[in-house]
Amino acid sequence: MNTVLEATTANAHGDSLWLKALHKFRHDRVGMWSLGIVAAYALIALGVMLGWWATDWAAVTGPKWAPVSAEYWFGTNIIGQDIFARALYGTRTAFEVGFIVALGATLLGAVLGAVAGFFSGTIVDEVVIWFMGVLDSVPFILLVAAIAYSLQGSPWAMHIAMIATFWITTARLVRGEVIKLKGLEFVEAAHAIGLSNRLIIFRHILPNTLHILLVQATISFVAAIKSEVILSFLGLGVKDGMSWGLMISESTFEVLAGFFNNFIAASVLMFGLVMAFNLLSDALQDALDPRTVSAS
Amino acid sequence: MDVLQYSIRKLIAGIPLIIGVTLISFLLIVYFGPDQTYSLLGKNPTAEEIAELRSQLGYDQPFITRYLQYLREIVTLDFGSSQASDEKVSSILARTIPVSLALSLPGFILGNLLGVLLALVAAYNRGRWLDKFIMGFAAVGMSISFLIVIIGFQILLSSSEGLDLFPVRGWDTSTPLQYLRYVTVPTLATVFVALGYNTRFYRAVIVEEMTRDHVRTARAFGIPQAQLFYKNILKNSMVPIVTRVVFSIPLIVISGSLLLESYFGIPGIGYVTYDAIVTGDQPVLKAVVALTALLFVVAQLLTDIAYRIVDPRVSLK
Amino acid sequence: MPLLRVRDLAVEFRTQQGVARAVDGISFDLHAGETLGLVGESGCGKTVTGLALLGLIPSPPGHIAGGSIEFMGKELVGLDDAQMRAIRGRDISMIFQEPMTALNPVFRIGSQMGDVLRLHQGLSRKQARTAAIEMLAKVGIPEPAQRIDNYPHELSGGMRQRVMIAMALSCGPQLLVADEPTTALDVTTQAQVLEQIAKLQKEFGMAMILVTHDLGVVAETCQRALVMYCGRIVEDSPVTELYATPRHPYTAGLLASIPRLRNERISELPVIPGMVPDVLHLPAGCSFADRCSKVQAICRTSAPLLKKLPGREAHVACYDPN
Repeated sequence: MNTVLEATTANAHGDSLWLKALHKFRHDRVGMWSLGIVAAYALIALGVMLGWWATDWAAVTGPKWAPVSAEYWFGTNIIGQDIFARALYGTRTAFEVGFIVALGATLLGAVLGAVAGFFSGTIVDEVVIWFMGVLDSVPFILLVAAIAYSLQGSPWAMHIAMIATFWITTARLVRGEVIKLKGLEFVEAAHAIGLSNRLIIFRHILPNTLHILLVQATISFVAAIKSEVILSFLGLGVKDGMSWGLMISESTFEVLAGFFNNFIAASVLMFGLVMAFNLLSDALQDALDPRTVSAS
Repeated sequence: MDVLQYSIRKLIAGIPLIIGVTLISFLLIVYFGPDQTYSLLGKNPTAEEIAELRSQLGYDQPFITRYLQYLREIVTLDFGSSQASDEKVSSILARTIPVSLALSLPGFILGNLLGVLLALVAAYNRGRWLDKFIMGFAAVGMSISFLIVIIGFQILLSSSEGLDLFPVRGWDTSTPLQYLRYVTVPTLATVFVALGYNTRFYRAVIVEEMTRDHVRTARAFGIPQAQLFYKNILKNSMVPIVTRVVFSIPLIVISGSLLLESYFGIPGIGYVTYDAIVTGDQPVLKAVVALTALLFVVAQLLTDIAYRIVDPRVSLK
Repeated sequence: MPLLRVRDLAVEFRTQQGVARAVDGISFDLHAGETLGLVGESGCGKTVTGLALLGLIPSPPGHIAGGSIEFMGKELVGLDDAQMRAIRGRDISMIFQEPMTALNPVFRIGSQMGDVLRLHQGLSRKQARTAAIEMLAKVGIPEPAQRIDNYPHELSGGMRQRVMIAMALSCGPQLLVADEPTTALDVTTQAQVLEQIAKLQKEFGMAMILVTHDLGVVAETCQRALVMYCGRIVEDSPVTELYATPRHPYTAGLLASIPRLRNERISELPVIPGMVPDVLHLPAGCSFADRCSKVQAICRTSAPLLKKLPGREAHVACYDPN
């Protein structure tokens, strides 16, 4: 290890990981742009939710397969609905699904991972690991189908199945980190003062895994959006409302007839959000990684 | 015989996993699933027909009995017959699994080989434009939904709007040429998406290995960069690479093929599974779930054995 | 003619917060067969100096910013990687601190040693294997013919370091740079390994630069010592003289702070007050000025040059040496 490099990257004021990360992130041009794009999408989704635009997404207002025009920015689909409005509405659905799943998966993963890691080697840990292995082994689509089946077609089956799958990676990472952390002295000290295990896990150890949780949340968000596309196509996804997946599902017949607008609108919009989010996730990871040294 | 003993021990250790998977699936699909009595019978069933079917389906028996019956089916590999087609489930599996393998294998092999190769090139040129280009391409591959890629390639290569070089749907392995015609577009789609994820992961592994002390030692002794990469670092990276490759096999065979087969109309196990999901064909679903669980346990075993071959620090004890 | 001539060598690292000058213009000579100690605390630039000699400065952040390294009459600064590779392991060898991680865990010892021998001496596989077994015997590894097929994790730390030494010496280099070779070993093994190195040095007629923070090791093995502080050499002196009469206040402070048996009781162990300055913001003038008990006005404005003391072998960089 090169001590010159170590010495120069450690700030003389001893800033926390978060301040350093913020500073590093601000200099990451790709990261900042991605954040901007994601924020723009979020704004669109918010607008749809508050009813500012795309309220007419289901309205059959135009002719079948109208081309791109001033009135219909993306043309219309086979029934005559405004593709642009539907694509905007899809943004709201994407954020809704992404947010719920990211939140659920991250919370579940954090708690179970921390408990497993803290009690590593004991039966508690074994049970959690077994559980992770089991859920990992069930093919995702089958799990969605099975949950949908058992919930008799509830629209939340998709979300639940996604959370039930995505929490595993987060839990594994948190577990690994907690195992490392619990060997550190501040945990020993906490035990010595007589703090309960619950307090130690949730107030002292878990906050030190926030950087992992943040990155994993963004990954879960992206995975949710991408999975929704496939699930909706298979009829296992979004039931009410409109989503990019449903649009693409609709478009499969249209493209065979030579009409691509629906397909392109949904694909491009989705690609934009997912790519930006992926790059954002990368930038976050780089900023929060205490080991990386900038070469510029 | 060391290996045999080890394998048996590992397989036995996998039993809790199989129990877990089958239990959860059983709970979800059969126990909490909708009552199939009325959907299976025709109109106006008589009371006797209802009673007979219910006893046949086991609705009048306690949970544990029904679950044990399921386990028995797994061990004997006899899942009964499909509710939709009356064909024996085991014969369905025997018919469709080879098709899925023939479909997924080329993409799987290519996706991983190319992924490792690209990752090596990227890591070798770390920080330079070639690295950024490859990583950018990988980021794009990761960001497009598999479905979109499939549709896109189909339009580009198979349809009359595009190049019209390949068939739009279907499957024919009668001659190697026909096989190539039908497998190319699905394979291209699979490789395109897989490359995105694989390249990134493998590059991270290789970069991690690049920074190890022993690489510095080798450099200090004048070992050329190319040899370092393609011999030393690659071998060091094999453990995580092999893990990922082997563990993705069960996923590829079942989940991956599901979308491809449904879309291209290829009669493999994925297509059958999707059909079973839509029609609620329980025997088939139970069989597929059990199969996947078994595959996972076998995959775990294979990975452990493979570790031993590539990393001498791991012992088989 | 000296084996190695370093003049005004400077190494810089570009970081987010600015440019760090890890080595700030050092000059010294090394003669064939001589053992030179490079001493100083962590971060003083001694390891970077060692890496610079082999052209191993990690190149995105770092680079040789100036000066010359003349080895056997040939200029090393400015050579491309291919040319440096021919020298590494053959004319100049380097061994590192961590024997645990310095060897590749998935290849056998024989394979790793063989790589070096076949590369630099063009030996066949069989010849390389024989030569490697011979070297292992020379460094005192028992049953070398069996050990050569071992993996690194099957050997103890001390043995691994001996393997490293065997590898380093296998092509008969003129110069060995040893970066803290015994720091990670326990005391008994330390003594054995140092003894081994000294023996081989004499046998091969090899010069050695021993980079270390351990003054005890320097006293035992080196003929001359360079004391480094903040990237500069503050004292360059034969070892006996260095320990008897340290000339630079920093050297004096270092020696005074070594715990040892004394005749009188002391209440506190002597320390050098203050802290090492931030490598990104080195002061103008002498870097030691803030901590020196003999500091004068001129010390803060212009850095003293390394000058030979009249009538002595020692060179000191100080306006008021002892």
